[in-house]
Amino acid sequence: MAKEILIVDDDPDFVETMEIIMQGNGYETRTARNGEEALKKVQEKIPDIILLDIMMKTKTDGIWVSEKIRSDDQLKKIPIIMITAVNQDSEMAKFDLGEEEDMEYMPVNVFMEKPIEAKDLLQEIEKLIGKP
Amino acid sequence: MKPKKCQIDDPECHLDVIQEWHGDLELNLTKLIKNLEGIREHSKVAKRAFSEHYAKTVELAQAKTRFTYEVSHELKAPLASVYNIINVILDGYLEKDLKKQNDLLKRAKVRINDVIKLLNDLLMFSHLEEGTGELEIEEIETDELLSPIIEEMDELAKENKIKINWNLSGNLPYIYGNPELLRRAFVNIIHNAIKYSNPGNQVKISAQEKNDSLLLTVKDKGIGIKKEELPKIYNIFFRGENARPEHKKEGMGLGLSLVKRIIDAHGGNIKVKSTLNKGTTVELSFSTIKKRRKNG
Repeated sequence: MAKEILIVDDDPDFVETMEIIMQGNGYETRTARNGEEALKKVQEKIPDIILLDIMMKTKTDGIWVSEKIRSDDQLKKIPIIMITAVNQDSEMAKFDLGEEEDMEYMPVNVFMEKPIEAKDLLQEIEKLIGKP
Repeated sequence: MKPKKCQIDDPECHLDVIQEWHGDLELNLTKLIKNLEGIREHSKVAKRAFSEHYAKTVELAQAKTRFTYEVSHELKAPLASVYNIINVILDGYLEKDLKKQNDLLKRAKVRINDVIKLLNDLLMFSHLEEGTGELEIEEIETDELLSPIIEEMDELAKENKIKINWNLSGNLPYIYGNPELLRRAFVNIIHNAIKYSNPGNQVKISAQEKNDSLLLTVKDKGIGIKKEELPKIYNIFFRGENARPEHKKEGMGLGLSLVKRIIDAHGGNIKVKSTLNKGTTVELSFSTIKKRRKNG
């Protein structure tokens, strides 16, 4: 059975195009629009990897999801690629997350900045979980 | 004072001299202490002023950084989606599905339009923030300003299965203002009322003259705003937590934060009352111009 990717983003267009790309490359996909939904779907069935947008504007954002997952013994091994719209190195990102949560120590495997080049993303996914 | 000369064997004279010195010393010490206290008081005031100023500067800098960050996010997120859409089509993922290609391209167009709308709003926003000196202002006949808005909003309401109940008093006054900006502000508020209403609801809009002011009220029975969110409604990019996903689809530009600046630039007033799940009432007021109507 093909490996499964959970795509989490509050932008429906981004989610749908990512689904087309991932399915086109042989992966299975599920999607979630916010942090709560993402966590629920992860608990229902553990995906092979999560593409997690930072979703600054939702109540349960990407950071919240990654922390929940990393603090759960059943789930903490799931690889996470965090996707941000704004440069993760910007001072503002740190400012918004609070001093103690410096980006360098974020509990995710890879950071990628939008816009995402499909080929780069597929490469990162393959590095983490292998071919579909 | 000339120092007193004493004979070596005159202890009383020496004692007098010492007492005089002592008196001087005490006087000077008191003065010194008083001066020091003055300085301390001054420095306390200065320190307070400095820390207030410092806090304000930091707050402003943070607000500016946050603003830049949020704007970058709001611009970049839709562009990233458009980028994805183009890539998906260019890379041939949808070669056999022309209908899907078409659908995605239409959505890309909407997203680009959103970005343009947002950029226009940002330009207007910064123009208004810079000060009102540049605002082109003219005498506006309220009826003339409202009549195209009524048409446009009735149309939008119909699409959303909402009915607007207009209650405009017959003799609306003149106001000073920039018609385009005011149109934007009114449309935005009515648009919100329609968008956040439930299908079948009614939106009540009234315009009247009251105490030398033009009073415009837009009342809906929609989803309302949480009490704790009310102080934030004028923040840039604010959107209530109870806004449904379909409300978030559409890029809204700067919404109420821009409306507030437009109203402020006109010396007007905006009041928002809201109860969660019961509805929202927005009241706008402007000073009127004492002027006879053309035909009156």
